[in-house]
Amino acid sequence: MVTAAFFYLFSGIAIASAFMVIAAKNPVHSVLFLILAFVNAAGLFLLIGAEFLAMLLIVVYVGAVSVLFLFVVMMLDVDFAALRQGFLQYLPVGAVIGVIFLVELLLILGTWSIDPNLVRTPAVGIPTQAVMTNTEALGVVIYTRYAFLFQIAGLILLVAMIGAIVLTLRERTGVRRQNIAAQTLRTTATAIEVRKVPSREGV
Amino acid sequence: MNSIVADYLPLAIFLGVALFIGAALMIAPFLVAYRRPDNEKLSAYECGFNAFDDARMKFDVKFYLVAILFIIFDLEVAFLFPWALVFGDLGWFGFWSMMLFLGVLTVGFVYEWKKGALEWD
Amino acid sequence: MTIGLIHYLVVAAILFTLGVFGIFLNRKNVIVILMSIELILLAVNINLVSFSIFLNDIVGQVFALFILTVAAAEAAIGLAILVVFFRNRGTIAVEDINMMKG
Repeated sequence: MVTAAFFYLFSGIAIASAFMVIAAKNPVHSVLFLILAFVNAAGLFLLIGAEFLAMLLIVVYVGAVSVLFLFVVMMLDVDFAALRQGFLQYLPVGAVIGVIFLVELLLILGTWSIDPNLVRTPAVGIPTQAVMTNTEALGVVIYTRYAFLFQIAGLILLVAMIGAIVLTLRERTGVRRQNIAAQTLRTTATAIEVRKVPSREGV
Repeated sequence: MNSIVADYLPLAIFLGVALFIGAALMIAPFLVAYRRPDNEKLSAYECGFNAFDDARMKFDVKFYLVAILFIIFDLEVAFLFPWALVFGDLGWFGFWSMMLFLGVLTVGFVYEWKKGALEWD
Repeated sequence: MTIGLIHYLVVAAILFTLGVFGIFLNRKNVIVILMSIELILLAVNINLVSFSIFLNDIVGQVFALFILTVAAAEAAIGLAILVVFFRNRGTIAVEDINMMKG
């Protein structure tokens, strides 16, 4: 009963904020609603028992990806009102396609059922919470059974890192940079020159 | 599934209390505060003279590069958590699997260091 | 009243549709399009995780983890391309991105 209440709370807020993501006038509000949607999806994951993914969703999406979106929205000085022109023009087409899509998906969901044999033969079963936590159960398979996928994930991250640097890093010319090594290597001999100034004559 | 709800009940109560206090502190001023606004009170105060321009200004791209690199290393750390938990049971294959992963990302790290992406100026 | 697989699948279907709808609705604003793609990937993740739990098979969660990785990388690169495009052209309107058209 409590589970059902929490499910409807989380899913209701998630869907409402997902709607606001696409309908909000101000893109900053869109990003904030996206954060709300992700937090509530993390709540759904918690309810269903995928604890590690729930926490990861908060750490990665709320902590990093949404911040990135926020930076870009604030960094680009764009006239967002102009970009919303034609919003209502696309509304009928989008609504028709969206409704058809949703009805089709729900029709599929309403008419299908799981093959009972499938449930009995999982590729890697989930141990009960008493035997092993969710995070440990994931760790047992990721690094050995799915090692290749894991390495590909590493390569994707490498490509993302290098691509982001190549795209956005700008070499600035004519900027004087601080050279800490040169600063700390200065000695009295290289920094100070002692001159004998004759008295009563001025320099 | 009910055990998970029981496990996280303190968190739910904490969030509820936090929401209540936050909402109360935001709503209370509307109810009790003394209000008599005028033009001067509502205008932006900037050291005694009128504001030069809009408070919303463009960010520098440098922040963005830092945020991207943060995402990448965030995910790297996320993959480290389950590995650390089951480290004793994984054996050598799991160990070298993670070392290769870390090595690949270290290549990227060396690249960005040499390229000067971590320099602030 | 128990919450079954079908409940989670309906939530995921609605989120997916909202994401697709968002792409249609905000055709001129690339940032909102990217956010809609994030919503779609979130719906996919919900599907994978709920099937994983209800079929008692952890592989779905492993794939959800990898999708999370790919989605984060995609957001980073997509926004980087957006920033470079804005720097070169001074606008992010999708309609102006037609240089590849002969």
